[in-house]
Amino acid sequence: MAHLIYFSRSRCTTVEESSEGIMTCACRITDNLLDARVQIQAALPDLEIMVVNSRIDHCLIDGMATAENKLQSLLGVRIGPGMLKIIKGLMGDEPACTELAYMAEECCQGAILSLTRKELEKAPRNPEDSRDHFSEMVKTNIRLYNRCVAFSEGSTILEGIEIPGSK
Amino acid sequence: MLTFMRNKLVDVEITDRDAYVAYGFLDDHIYSLETTFQVNGADMTIQWLKGHWNRYTTPDCPLAEKPLQGAVGLCLTDEGFSESVHKIVGRKACRHFANLILECCDAIVKAREMLEKKEKGTQKSLKDPVLSDSCVHEKSACPEKETLPGRIKKNVRIPFEQLKDAPDGFTIDLHVHTSPASPCASSSVDEVISEAKRIGLNGICLTDHNYQWDPENIQKLRDKHQFLVLGGNEITTVQGDMVTFGLDEDIQGIIALKDLTEKIEAVDGFVIAAHPFRGFLVVSGDKLNLDIEKAAARPMFTLVNGVETLNSKVTVDENRFCGQVAKVLKLPVTGGSDAHVAVEVGLYATRFSKIIRNEEELISALKSGDGVPVNYRNIQQ
Repeated sequence: MAHLIYFSRSRCTTVEESSEGIMTCACRITDNLLDARVQIQAALPDLEIMVVNSRIDHCLIDGMATAENKLQSLLGVRIGPGMLKIIKGLMGDEPACTELAYMAEECCQGAILSLTRKELEKAPRNPEDSRDHFSEMVKTNIRLYNRCVAFSEGSTILEGIEIPGSK
Repeated sequence: MLTFMRNKLVDVEITDRDAYVAYGFLDDHIYSLETTFQVNGADMTIQWLKGHWNRYTTPDCPLAEKPLQGAVGLCLTDEGFSESVHKIVGRKACRHFANLILECCDAIVKAREMLEKKEKGTQKSLKDPVLSDSCVHEKSACPEKETLPGRIKKNVRIPFEQLKDAPDGFTIDLHVHTSPASPCASSSVDEVISEAKRIGLNGICLTDHNYQWDPENIQKLRDKHQFLVLGGNEITTVQGDMVTFGLDEDIQGIIALKDLTEKIEAVDGFVIAAHPFRGFLVVSGDKLNLDIEKAAARPMFTLVNGVETLNSKVTVDENRFCGQVAKVLKLPVTGGSDAHVAVEVGLYATRFSKIIRNEEELISALKSGDGVPVNYRNIQQ
């Protein structure tokens, strides 16, 4: 029996940064039901969403026009901790709204990962040295603690680090 | 200049009428990972799952592959499924695996819906794809600037003085979460109060996320523990989280800060910008170079009554920066642990010069600027 694919999806998120510190993040999706793009712009250092664009090329999900309008409620939301709750809350839970909300979230995550990448470029390639580098990262940014298995109790990165309130 | 790109590919195969197999691939400038898993079509639970890294960042990232198995048995159609994946896979393994698994699960749910529609013969055809004009709206980076109202309260910062009725100060943790009122917290209110008493705090404020405590229940807690427990709230606004006192209204969903402050003003309450610079100076390590003057000019500070300058969920630098901004703003300042487990209560708190007995006295003390943020647990040690 042929192993045919019934549903297929490609999602691409890109981040471009201008010399003036404007981050333009775009999420494009193509699958059996939706071909769409959401683009946001935010300026450093505030990282507040100041422009939201959308384009729907084909859609088999009801309510997309309303969802596109709702995207404008994201203006002023700051990219950073707590943003997912705000985006979900503002967009609501209709199917079309959750699709576009997720695309906006992916744009915001892309912006953060773009900044993360810059930081990671400073990490040494040697595993021992890089361990020290990441230990220092957790020490200076407590939010990373327990964020994933690498930054939790039992990982070598946390050896010897005392986190306030962790005991 | 392109600074980041992430590609995700998801394919769903229906092996027979009762099983879906998802193949997911995530590749970006930082990570590369793959997952394959099967979902039982009858009960929509994950039957088995495989996942592995192609590229990763830290030497401990490979530890993430084993705890991925925690996703086996989860039901895609359960309420809270997404939160479960974030908790079980995201926190215990890796959030990028959680992201890819959720992407695959969404594709499976859509594949199932398509199949059901097809079987019912009601599936729409793609003959007329919905074409929309690009929906482009632009707004300035500071949307509130155009309609800036006057400051709600002209709070005058007064120097801290030790008064007779509380010569050593009266210390309250103004920002505490409990379970189950805050889904993200893991200690019960009784555990939190017991710990607060144990470390010698004079009181705590229950500020669960968008949760309105019944005043009768708060009174019962006071009686039960013989300890000062005050009611408050942490409300999510478009401009960030706000700790509020005096508002007797159950606010659900996301509210604009301006609307919230109007409600607070109507009841003569108090609204504090909670951790206003969380993630501002450091986004996953990268310096954003935000300066104090620019930070103080943020429109949100024209709307709030006070600023939380000590919070245990932000970095030392962010707390320090927040303190400097609050000094420029001349707004009352507070400290709160933002505890989500009992052992965190009292990490930071606010010390008052007078004894506080109820919410009214708390609001009055905050308005008069009689509050000093303190690193409480460190002071006690």
